[in-house]
Amino acid sequence: MLRVTKLRYGFPIGLLLFFYLDGILGAAFPRQLFSAPYAMSSYLVVLWLVLSVFFEDELQIPLTVWAAIAGGLFDVYYTGIWGIFVFIFPIVVGLTRACYKAFPINFLSGLLVYFIDITVVCTLSYFGNLVVHMTTASFATMMVDSLAPTLAYNLAAYVILYFPVQWLFNRLRN
Amino acid sequence: MHKFFSNRRLVIIIICLIVSFGLMSVSVAIRNKRSTPPMVQQFGNDVVGLVNRVVAWPVSGLNGSVTGFSDLMNTYQENQRLKGQVQELAQTKVHDQAVNRENQKLKQELKLNQSLTNYTPVTANVIARTPSAWQNQVIIDKGSSAGVKKNMPVLSGSGVVGRVAEVNRTNSKVELLSNSSESANRFAVTITTKSGKTVNGILSGYNHNKNLIEMGNVTSKAKIEKGDKVATSGLGGVMPAGLFVGTVATTGTDNYGLAAKISIKPATNLSELSVVTVAVRQAQTTN
Repeated sequence: MLRVTKLRYGFPIGLLLFFYLDGILGAAFPRQLFSAPYAMSSYLVVLWLVLSVFFEDELQIPLTVWAAIAGGLFDVYYTGIWGIFVFIFPIVVGLTRACYKAFPINFLSGLLVYFIDITVVCTLSYFGNLVVHMTTASFATMMVDSLAPTLAYNLAAYVILYFPVQWLFNRLRN
Repeated sequence: MHKFFSNRRLVIIIICLIVSFGLMSVSVAIRNKRSTPPMVQQFGNDVVGLVNRVVAWPVSGLNGSVTGFSDLMNTYQENQRLKGQVQELAQTKVHDQAVNRENQKLKQELKLNQSLTNYTPVTANVIARTPSAWQNQVIIDKGSSAGVKKNMPVLSGSGVVGRVAEVNRTNSKVELLSNSSESANRFAVTITTKSGKTVNGILSGYNHNKNLIEMGNVTSKAKIEKGDKVATSGLGGVMPAGLFVGTVATTGTDNYGLAAKISIKPATNLSELSVVTVAVRQAQTTN
């Protein structure tokens, strides 16, 4: 269980902050993020969850539950369609945990894991939207117009935020 | 592989899939209905939206100072350009007032209190944008407590940018015209041609590559030219008439060669929204 450290409060606060930043950055910089036909979706909340898997060590935060909560909020508040991100986020956490067990995580291998995670998030949310007819875009269009810019944006965010978040986790643990 | 798909895990995965699809279809069904979302969802959205404003404040402050600096650099050129326009605007304004007065008098004579063009504007700030490529949607800080209702048109700059898709007490979701989903873009519009004829139709989609709104199923034989103005017709629903949508960019026939297909250049840049206006129609219809 989560021991009594500052992380007990720090983790949920960070999660919420990154959750809000996803929407706020889109509203604050629409010309940079949503210049048609390309659309960069900000998934900073996924970055927080993935980095938590890397840095939690023996603390064992109930990350799957938190991921489901964040996904539920994402569904209700941002998209208005239940049942997509509430399942995708825990899947991503599970996937990252599996990768973490399979090989040692450092900055570069973490980047690759995050690459896979974002691809999974984009692809699954695309299929989710496809089955409820929220989109009619083809898979190829999705790859070029959505997946590629989203990957570029989120990997840049990973590179920028990896070390600050690591520092923050070390700080909060002690 | 055998171990991964053990019985228990397989059952859990299948249950999760069923729940996921169930939730998705229920929420889409609720979304398309006129009524507001369920109480729980509304409450959750209100609470989340409240904190959003607190977090958005420093970000918008930072953004404001950056754009403020670039605006300062453009001030001189813009000032020159605007001076010319101000003269013209003053004339239009006076003429507008006269026409408005005349309109009111004529309405009184006809004993007509509210017509389809009357609306009260409700100004709202954009507090977040859905981080998804499939839903061009923004969240605004006004909800049912300010009189906003589902399907009301939302304006920004000089024209219509979208419609209200979901209403909570203190915030609402606005589906932009650039949304290409099946439930979006059902605006009843009218084109006034140069010869004074009007052509009615419905917006049917959006061309992302060219940034143009598409209007299909036009069977009128009237000649529509590039540059003709498109405005809402006020027919059906809660949409006031006479809201500017854009100008005609191209005309052609649809894939079957039967009806005309018209591309419309939106009046406002749909990807740059910070303050929007919700048009609350005053004249009520039974719909």
